Amino acid sequence: MTQLDIVDVGHSYRSGAEEERWALKPLRLTFEAGKTYALVGPSGCGKTTLLNVLSGLVRPSQGHVLFDGADVTALPTRARNIAQVFQFPVIYRSMTVYENLAFPLQCRRWDKARIDAKVRQVAEALDLDDRLEQPARRLTADDKQLISLGRGLVRDDVAAVLMDEPLTVIDPQLKHSLRRKIREITEQFGPTVIYVTHDQYEAMSIAQEVLVMKDGRAMQQGTPEQLFEAPSSTYVGYFIGSPAMNFLTLDRTDGHVTLGGRPLTMAWDMPEGTTECQVGIRPEYVEVATEPGPNTFPARLRDVRDHGPQRVLVMEVAGGLVRAKVPREDGVPASEEFLVRLPRAKALPYADGRLVLHS
Amino acid sequence: MNLSATDLCLTVDGVDHLKDVSATFVPGRLHAVIGRTMAGKTTLLRVLAGLQGVDSGALTRQGADFLKTPVWRRDTAMVYQQFINYPHLDVFDNVAFPLKRAGLARDEIRRRVTDSLARVGLADFERRKPSQLSGGQQQRVALARALARGTGILLLDEPLANLDYKLREQLRDEFRTLFSDQGDTVVIYTTTEPAEAMMLGDVVLVMHEGRILQTGSPQEVFERPATTTVASIINDPPMNIFTGRIGSGQVTVAGFQATHVSAHLADLPDGTYRFGLRATDVGLASAGVEGEVTFVEISGSETFVHVAVGETPFVVQIEGIHDVALGDLVKLRLRPERLFAFDEEGTLQRTPSYDLTSVEGR
Amino acid sequence: MRSRLYPVFKYTMIALWACFVAGPFFWAMTTSFKDVNGVQGGATYLPWLQYEPTVVGWRNIFGGAGGVDVMRPFFNSAVVTVAASAVSLVLGSLAAYALSRYRFKLGFIKNSDIVFFFVSQRIMPPVVLVIPFFYLLQWTGLLDTVLGLVIVTVALLLPIAVWVMVDFFNGIPREIDEMAMLDGCGPFQTFVRAILPNSLPGLTVAAMFCVVFGWNDFFFAFRLTFTEVQTLPQAVVALNSSIPPWWTLSAAALFGVAPLILLALRVERYLSKGNLSGAVR
Repeated sequence: MTQLDIVDVGHSYRSGAEEERWALKPLRLTFEAGKTYALVGPSGCGKTTLLNVLSGLVRPSQGHVLFDGADVTALPTRARNIAQVFQFPVIYRSMTVYENLAFPLQCRRWDKARIDAKVRQVAEALDLDDRLEQPARRLTADDKQLISLGRGLVRDDVAAVLMDEPLTVIDPQLKHSLRRKIREITEQFGPTVIYVTHDQYEAMSIAQEVLVMKDGRAMQQGTPEQLFEAPSSTYVGYFIGSPAMNFLTLDRTDGHVTLGGRPLTMAWDMPEGTTECQVGIRPEYVEVATEPGPNTFPARLRDVRDHGPQRVLVMEVAGGLVRAKVPREDGVPASEEFLVRLPRAKALPYADGRLVLHS
Repeated sequence: MNLSATDLCLTVDGVDHLKDVSATFVPGRLHAVIGRTMAGKTTLLRVLAGLQGVDSGALTRQGADFLKTPVWRRDTAMVYQQFINYPHLDVFDNVAFPLKRAGLARDEIRRRVTDSLARVGLADFERRKPSQLSGGQQQRVALARALARGTGILLLDEPLANLDYKLREQLRDEFRTLFSDQGDTVVIYTTTEPAEAMMLGDVVLVMHEGRILQTGSPQEVFERPATTTVASIINDPPMNIFTGRIGSGQVTVAGFQATHVSAHLADLPDGTYRFGLRATDVGLASAGVEGEVTFVEISGSETFVHVAVGETPFVVQIEGIHDVALGDLVKLRLRPERLFAFDEEGTLQRTPSYDLTSVEGR
Repeated sequence: MRSRLYPVFKYTMIALWACFVAGPFFWAMTTSFKDVNGVQGGATYLPWLQYEPTVVGWRNIFGGAGGVDVMRPFFNSAVVTVAASAVSLVLGSLAAYALSRYRFKLGFIKNSDIVFFFVSQRIMPPVVLVIPFFYLLQWTGLLDTVLGLVIVTVALLLPIAVWVMVDFFNGIPREIDEMAMLDGCGPFQTFVRAILPNSLPGLTVAAMFCVVFGWNDFFFAFRLTFTEVQTLPQAVVALNSSIPPWWTLSAAALFGVAPLILLALRVERYLSKGNLSGAVR
């Protein structure tokens, strides 16, 4: 278990490019020892570059990488003592499952009994203990990925396990169980894990903390719950959660914010010089109201989407589209026009796309 | 114009891929075929397309034997789960390919290609090669090609399965508009996701192990699942199914406190039943039966907490994203008024009563 | 691992390999500009400095006194190679497509056996084939004709074309065929419009092999043609009298290999570019 620190690391694949175009804009992050982190974002967001900086494949244009406080920026991958799982399973095809798992330890000249004990322990956790003598190439893609992971876990001294979209080649239907397995195993063995993915389900189900990236910037780092409850930007609000967070543009009249001409009861201080003020609210928190009241607005129903246990009502509120997720048993509003309430505690202010924090 | 299948059977290496499949597919409606992997959904589509033969059974369209019609005369378009396009052709020519084959005039081809590319949001990509597009865009090209022809039959085989969730969500929304007006086309759409079937389907067909278990409106299938298997397929996470007893006015489920029989189960004779309860109807509570958290999944905006109560696994669905640690002890509360009752063979006996009339507000 | 010496090592190895490959060409090139004196004077490489260059060797192969005219044999070789390669590619890719997409069965014989049958034609020593070919051509009156040689060469090249193309077609997703059929193409249209346009890299490789083998064939031409029709390799060998005219031989060898070098340079581009990414993810 090792703590990884990224200190003012920035990277550009082309020298002399202006900072705006760097693949990774200078940033400062800490990955605590023994935790699982997910780096998530669309392709080209810099998550893979960041992973490569951690693994030593890419030497950053500026800044330092610290492993437990020691500067490893100049060290090659081999000297960093990390384990990696790639998109495509990497196994030794000629070896059995057992030999695959034992190989990293044999390279480290462990004695046989110790290797045997460790391999069996890891194999049991991976549910591969009944197939130890099988040739590894005969396994299915998801089991091969488990071996790739297992080869990292057998090493007690591994600083961190880096995983780069490890579910890419796995059947959609098997992803679920492999995801579960990876989570269980990492909890059991407790290494520091950095997991790169473009899929939000995967990121949130696997990691204790998620780092959302976009255009080479770290947008927000936090627990899945923090990202869901208080997205720091409209982008995170859109990216995390399904359906995405609703955003409605507010008007400002003498210091107060109004929505569609009606006042909001929240005392929000929008910073000076803000061009666009928005209120953000999750579809789960939009309420269908029976009578007028504070923060209640007229809505016009546009579509009802049946998701099974819930329905998503798509409606027009104050000139914008709002989705509300309501339990099936609540039914569908009888008339096309009705009222919705934005609960005070759940509506958040955004100034030019950034969350405005109030103490 | 109906497409009718009667007792289609196909066995490969001793495994039933299709078993007595009978269904009538009606023009202008979207038929959502839902089932797990290997349920026979893809095989069914391939048989309808003519890419796969059957051992026995009949397939008719407009009264004619469709099984004898070769693929290229079936007037059928198909969108695959993998994004299949002609690698050597650019986006425009990919969409134009079937139109040229059909011998349409140049102007008509241009008009239709431009129109269908606009419908899938790829108007500016005409001259790109498929390899220069993202997965979502490639799938849109495949979709545009299928739509441009205006075939009598449109088959979509899990078209969203290989896309990531934000894109899936977006395309699912778009599909609703895209398929809302299909005129005389028979649309058949396979999926493993209940929400997709519910949201897009006019008719839902539930498939399992090569058989069609139930056919009906989304509402009907969701609220009256014919068997425990249907109940678990049409719910995500699968419906919790467990054994219990009804006796002397009480419902007893192992590990839980007995509760009064709620109204909808009151007329059932005493005995052992299989009960079903949706993940949304199991709650984490301050008091109740204790269980251990075995796994937590986050799916979009919901948290699925897997809890083991003794030997029985339960899934609890909580709205929003919550941090629940593995190994935690939590207390579960079942909502007895929401129990589905099945007999011991798994056939539906009673459903909780939904108030199906619209309600205003909460 | 990556010491500062690594690039030095890397480029040294590349330079050595380049010498190894280009050496014989250089040697043949210098020799072709020598005459008796230049050759007997020991190993010399630099014209003007070490020996007096002359074009006698080159003049010999274009009909000069004491040599032969290689233009006719060159033309014969070209006709045989191009015709046989073209026929082999057309027939070969059709056969290969059928073998890749349809299941054939006759008793215990399956697709893989048919493919092996094709390949086995090339495993057999040519000597075994040449006698039946001789009688066949004699019987049909095609001995010592270009057409006869084309037919025999097709028999030699077809297995190569089939073998390369089966492998290539197997790599093209079947869904592309299915999609083309759904799009209204019959089986033949599917092949022509959907599969062939995606097979350029495979066809290029197959064509390369065909042309190289066809062009370089000596054995069959030697045994099946005599006076009327001579191919380039035959003509070159004919130069080899009791005192080898090394300068003429070198010139003829360079002249003979030139088309292949030009072809390789042109085709290299297609070989590296061809890929199917974007067909199926």
